[in-house]
Amino acid sequence: MAAHAIRTRWLGFLFLAAMLVVLAVLPWAINNYWLRIATGALMWAGLACSWNMLGGYAGYINFGHSAFFGLGAYSSALLMNDPFGLPFLATIPAGMAVTALCAVAIGGPTLRLRGAYFAIATWAFAEVLIQFATVMDFTGGTGGIGLPPFLNERFFYFAMLVAAVLTYLVTWALFERSRFGLKVKALRDHEPAAEAMGINTALVKLQAFVLSAVAASVFGSIFAYWVTFINPKSVFGGDITDQMVVMVLLGGLGSLWGPAIGGVALFVVNRLIWMNWGDTAFYIAILGAAIVLVVLFLPNGIAGLFARRGGNGALAKAAEKLVRGGER
Amino acid sequence: MDLFLQTLLNGLLIGGVIATFTIAFQLTFGVLHVIDFAVGGWVVLGGYLGYYMASGLGLDGFLAIPVAFVLFGAIGYLLGPVLYNVRNSRTARPELMALALTFGLFTLLRGGMLTAWGFNTRSVATALSGESLTLGPVTVPLIRVAAALFAAAIACSLFLFLYRTRYGLAIRATAENRNNAALMGVNIRRLSANVYGLYAGITAMAGVLMGAIYSVNPEVGLRYTLFAFFVAVLAGLGSVGGAVVAALLLGVIEAYVSTYVGSSYSLLAIFATLFLVLLISPRGILRRGL
Repeated sequence: MAAHAIRTRWLGFLFLAAMLVVLAVLPWAINNYWLRIATGALMWAGLACSWNMLGGYAGYINFGHSAFFGLGAYSSALLMNDPFGLPFLATIPAGMAVTALCAVAIGGPTLRLRGAYFAIATWAFAEVLIQFATVMDFTGGTGGIGLPPFLNERFFYFAMLVAAVLTYLVTWALFERSRFGLKVKALRDHEPAAEAMGINTALVKLQAFVLSAVAASVFGSIFAYWVTFINPKSVFGGDITDQMVVMVLLGGLGSLWGPAIGGVALFVVNRLIWMNWGDTAFYIAILGAAIVLVVLFLPNGIAGLFARRGGNGALAKAAEKLVRGGER
Repeated sequence: MDLFLQTLLNGLLIGGVIATFTIAFQLTFGVLHVIDFAVGGWVVLGGYLGYYMASGLGLDGFLAIPVAFVLFGAIGYLLGPVLYNVRNSRTARPELMALALTFGLFTLLRGGMLTAWGFNTRSVATALSGESLTLGPVTVPLIRVAAALFAAAIACSLFLFLYRTRYGLAIRATAENRNNAALMGVNIRRLSANVYGLYAGITAMAGVLMGAIYSVNPEVGLRYTLFAFFVAVLAGLGSVGGAVVAALLLGVIEAYVSTYVGSSYSLLAIFATLFLVLLISPRGILRRGL
């Protein structure tokens, strides 16, 4: 068994290395149009992963994740513009700090709520930010805010690539390979039991929440600089959260690679629809249908289909639960 | 002072209409243990039904109310068991899956309506549209008074049904303790389907009224989902009596903020209140929630 496990592990690493090489040379192999699509796909894969940190691993559904994406975007936009005029790279950590502060302020009280209330609270928070950014003057109101244009598609591709790789690396290290990950999963599976085992669930939840918020804000910063113009709807909009939720559900809740699969697949579908029909309303309907179908027929997502026996796939776990008769 | 009274009355009238579907929303939570994100979708669909009956068939908008109840009641009756199955399935987290399902349903409804009808705003024409009623110093649109009366009739029938019939007793028992109700012979599965049907029908009826008072477009669904959540949080999830109070309060808050501060701030005020209540008193200000 051990030899087999080691061999699969090496195959996995080899596959990952090959993929990284492909991703690194991709900008020279495709034209700018497809490069933009690839950049977007990386962003969505990373965003879906950031949502999954809390939604998948800790079991708290965050319906306001776009708030943190938007906080990163607006931080970068405001800091790069006049009175501050900071360089782009300096605005990323600034955005992360702002987001982390907000996440602590929001998460501290709301993470004590039961799942459903938490979902409503986060959703309300994101909507408050939309309304706030719309009525305030310093954010440019409905009109939005522009950033100094920087038209280098390759730069943004690599920025998104680095951010996405780091996000997945952090997720892997913290949620799949550390005591912290075990604590998070324990509280997801049975919170009172986890607490009885001596886990400080309030702290662990908050850590996972801040981590997921900060990751989203990095993508927000890069996104704002990339598109050079943002408005409340485009970075705080509920559609952004909707997409992340669908991507993770489609890929597989609580799996490392699920969000990447779901994110890339859905974003490509989105672009194909855009190219062929130029219509985004239809895409919203498809998103909805995708959620309904996944919940009904594929509750463990695409990743669940490939879960190895004894691995940490959700399908394997569900089967195990069924075999044990299911305590519920 | 006149403006103050007028705003109060307007708020109460709107709050009354909101109360109808939030009561049903709370009932659904109590019985199915599902928070229905799709509530705004049913409201908007009801509004569109009213619009098509009024402008397509040339009937009075109010005639759409019973049609909405029957049509969406049937749809809800068919959807109820699906929701019930997901909520009680053996997947890892049925609660989240059910939430995700209604969220998907809402997104599907919104996307479908946007695709079919676009972003244009429609309003339901009735015999009373454009008329107004003067009571001493206060003038209110007659349509709001009529809508509030319809809403009160719907709410009263619902309360009579819940508190004066055997089946209503079964529903309340299930909401209070599902296991004990099942032991007493209530068929929870069928009751869930009926409650979801009742809820969808009532919500669509409220949608016709809302379409007559304001107007509908596919994007306003989110607003009504917010209203339902606001009421649920204020009253405490599952509390039916508290929903009436909270809905009236919501109507009044919205009316005052729109009149005295500006309508673009009304959603901000509602969200801020919602958020504060969640932080200060997560079980609802009436402390009756689950």
